[in-house]
Amino acid sequence: MSRSIGRRIEFEVAGRVVGPALAAFERAKKLARRRGPGRPGKKSSPFGPPLEATRKLKELMTTHYLAGRYADGAVPVAWVTSGFPVEILRPLGYHAVYPENHAALCSVQRVVPELSDAVEKEGYARDLCSYARTDLGSVLTGKTPVGRLPKPDLLCCCTNICQTVLYWYRALAAHFGVPLFVLDTPYVYGQAPGHHRTYVRAQLEELVGIAERVAGKRVEPDELEAVVRVARDGTRLWGECLAQSRARPAPWTGFDGFFHIAPIVTLRGTEACNAYYRMLRDELAHRVARGVGGIRDERHRLLWDNLPVWFDVRGMSTLLAERGFNFVCTSYTNAWAEAGSRIDPADPIGSAVLAYTHIILNQDLPNRLDILRRLSRDYSVDGAVLHSDRSCKPYSIGQIDLKQRLARELDIKVLVLEADHGDPRAYSVEQGEGRLTAFMESFA
Amino acid sequence: MSRAVAIGVDVGSTTCKGVAIDADGAIVAHRVEPTHPRIEEQTTRVVAALEQELGTSGLPVGSTGYGRKRVARARALTEITCHARGAYKLVGTAGVLVDMGGQDTKVIRIGKGGDVADFAMNDKCAAGTGRFLEVILGRLQVRFEDVAALVKSATRAVPVSSTCTVFAESEVISLVAQGEPLEGIVRGLHQSLASRVAALAGRELDGEVLMSGGVALNAAMVDALASALRRPVRVLPTPQLVGAIGAALSVV
Amino acid sequence: MRHAYIAKQRDEHGRKAVAVLPVHYPKELFTALDLLAVEMWGPPGAPVSADAGRVQAYVCAVVRNALAFLASGRADACEAVLFPHTCDSIQGLATLVTDFGGWSKPSFVFQHPRGGPRPSSRAYYLSELGSLADGLAGLAGRPLEPEKLREAVRLHRRIDAARAALLDGRRRLALDDVELYRLLRRGEWLWPEDHLAELEAATARLGPSDVQRGAPVLITGYVPEPGTLFEVLCDAGAFVVADDYAAVGRRVVRPPAALDLADPFHALAELYWAAPPCPTRASDQVGRMRYLAELYRRSGAAGVIVHEQKFCEPELFDVAAVKKTFAGLGAKLLYLEGELETELSGQATTRLEAFVEMIAATARVA
Repeated sequence: MSRSIGRRIEFEVAGRVVGPALAAFERAKKLARRRGPGRPGKKSSPFGPPLEATRKLKELMTTHYLAGRYADGAVPVAWVTSGFPVEILRPLGYHAVYPENHAALCSVQRVVPELSDAVEKEGYARDLCSYARTDLGSVLTGKTPVGRLPKPDLLCCCTNICQTVLYWYRALAAHFGVPLFVLDTPYVYGQAPGHHRTYVRAQLEELVGIAERVAGKRVEPDELEAVVRVARDGTRLWGECLAQSRARPAPWTGFDGFFHIAPIVTLRGTEACNAYYRMLRDELAHRVARGVGGIRDERHRLLWDNLPVWFDVRGMSTLLAERGFNFVCTSYTNAWAEAGSRIDPADPIGSAVLAYTHIILNQDLPNRLDILRRLSRDYSVDGAVLHSDRSCKPYSIGQIDLKQRLARELDIKVLVLEADHGDPRAYSVEQGEGRLTAFMESFA
Repeated sequence: MSRAVAIGVDVGSTTCKGVAIDADGAIVAHRVEPTHPRIEEQTTRVVAALEQELGTSGLPVGSTGYGRKRVARARALTEITCHARGAYKLVGTAGVLVDMGGQDTKVIRIGKGGDVADFAMNDKCAAGTGRFLEVILGRLQVRFEDVAALVKSATRAVPVSSTCTVFAESEVISLVAQGEPLEGIVRGLHQSLASRVAALAGRELDGEVLMSGGVALNAAMVDALASALRRPVRVLPTPQLVGAIGAALSVV
Repeated sequence: MRHAYIAKQRDEHGRKAVAVLPVHYPKELFTALDLLAVEMWGPPGAPVSADAGRVQAYVCAVVRNALAFLASGRADACEAVLFPHTCDSIQGLATLVTDFGGWSKPSFVFQHPRGGPRPSSRAYYLSELGSLADGLAGLAGRPLEPEKLREAVRLHRRIDAARAALLDGRRRLALDDVELYRLLRRGEWLWPEDHLAELEAATARLGPSDVQRGAPVLITGYVPEPGTLFEVLCDAGAFVVADDYAAVGRRVVRPPAALDLADPFHALAELYWAAPPCPTRASDQVGRMRYLAELYRRSGAAGVIVHEQKFCEPELFDVAAVKKTFAGLGAKLLYLEGELETELSGQATTRLEAFVEMIAATARVA
């Protein structure tokens, strides 16, 4: 796609000026509404005081999506899976779109059934991942709650989170007629053998060449190193934010983390991302110092495994908070903190091989069990909820065995909760709440 | 009364239908009974009763429906082909036929010559079928004959998002518990089912939309389907007998 | 039957059996090492043990049944199991049943590349082949001799050639679909030489002119289960004229005219890239649609049946494109979805019959 100066100016203005202004406007509107009459029940909220950082989070994400509307034609655009080494694209000026994050947003906004219906009519089965159906539906209908998604120049898919993304991006490639780069990270049974690492490394080198060709410029080693350093620091900062919840009471909820994860997923490798997490970490640390909890009365601490049930995060967290339960850690938010330790600015490619291959979802069940065990201990949990996610087979297969092992080894209560990360039609709120309530009653 | 030339038998999951038609394809006699487990015996009896009523015997028999292969001396054809033929005979033009029975919902595109141009059926689960309504209306203790009036009286529809029968049942129960009006819930149910059928029908609907099958007798469902498809739906005369007519036509 | 065969292969030829999950794997390595590959497509029907409950209801029947089967001890006639890297579910099964209980004998994984035709994929495929060869050689208790591998590659080319002849000459073949598929699928567990003998006997039944009279259909999907599907098709007056099942047609490689056998591993890599496109190998979707369109035109099919297994992600993600492709060609298409039943449901039978009634009517009009 040809890129113009005019378009570039629009993109920059949207990102630097309009986005923040829009977020401020939305905030003002909300404040005005809040001051109005009729906000019953505020006092009885089971949650702690709202996080100050949330405002900044909204501004950051509004700006990201707003700038995105003007990105194509201004800068190269890549659609990227959440586990892709985006650091390699950043020095080339790519605007990265994260369809998974977009689909989560659609789920929170409850537009999944409508978007999914559109692709189901084309022949996509409802049994397929709801993220994929949502985004393909958005592509097909042009409908999105963010106004508009820029068209990709390059599709980047890494198989470290699932094979689903591979099939999904193949369909995107056929639709858009643009190159698809698959970074294939063989599944790790035990340890990754040498030839698997060689393979991933060779692909990363190929990626550099392809990304350069599409962008029409070259990756400068020092720029790459700088981005990788920022990404590593950002990942560590995110880890520090999560680690605040080792305190009792945890200063925020695991479900808050589902929303605050957005920058480390979509803006990893940018200064804006790191500045945000510094602010969030400091606020959380301050709350810990003052003994302020994410919920008012933390009586039980839980671990959450798998993706969130995006469309019902609010409902579930309220149900739990009202009874003094808090998800103090989740294997999902933790995944973005784990990889950070392996990234090395001195060896961007070599360290990316390890970092991106050893993602929780790309590892066998003993490794998964280790992670859950470690989180359970580090965060002193009394119980765990394993979300059996109809839309995510790789994350869910094995949970029935994991449940027994966790319960036995750690002597904690474990619930397997059937739901879906995106599609409300695949989940019965009544049944879900019933199960969660029964689970909580078992702690009495 | 004109002379009968053929008999058609449609053995559905809920009812067994038999018709005798004349050379013009008009019905000269018919019977509708609940389906018995012994299909051979029942259909033999139905055919004999029709012949006796008409004072004739040995008419050619066409059969259709899920029990079609158990009908003595009949030529068996699927309900898709028979519904298309029956509907074409009744309206004489191409169109899209939505047949909603107890077990299956079918969308059949009828070509210019009355042939089947394409068809789609609900998947294995009962989500898009008459059974879905039956189960949940039963649960709500709403009688079939009261449904249309009830839905008409609703000032708004209470959305029912689940399309799985089991999920929808528990959703509906909790809506009732939350004090939502019964008529609104029933209307919401009809909308939910209609959207499922609309998804099955797809976007390209050439020609008139026709409806047959037992569910077509439920006026509320016909209205819900019309609004989901955003076009009028014409219910065929004797909607329950369309398949049997088509079966009879296939042996004329 | 299979148990007796496996026992006989072991007792008479000293061949160890290895259970293999779907879909793609370098069978030549097994043959060269005198290992009998016995494929496990489920098996169909109800799962044979309570271990099936260790995976959720939204995991496909192939994986659920395989888990139950392995954990029940019914595969104990096999000395090892191979999990090709076909999808997330098989990948998950590989760790679930080996690490958390159900299978304690040796296990292997084979992770073919998904990165498309790039140099890294080729180099990796060779190294992954080498790694599997080492593992299998350990199981066989002897090293892999290059000449034996060359022989195996040649043998499997003859098998492919015979399978291609039967499929491509379908109209002239005096076998019905039930017989043809029974024959082709015996290759999933017979010793390759035994299978080749059966195939070559069948090629003798290829006549000079067409003997199939029904409505010709192209069929695509994962695995042809239940086999009764072909009885229904046959009774309704149709026959399969072109096959694109992952289990069947997509594994028949029509190799480049001259296959260089100097380095047999390179020859295997060459064959991997020459195989028909398959979503489980991450083949480009546009290329796959082109292939299917060409298969449809070349075979003169009057309709298309898409026959998938519920929850099979790699297959299901292509269905929309498949529908669009054939709609563009004006082809009638029937979509069928199963869960590895042993019998076709009444509804599926009705759909198939109605479809044949429909395409037969159109064929007459034409």
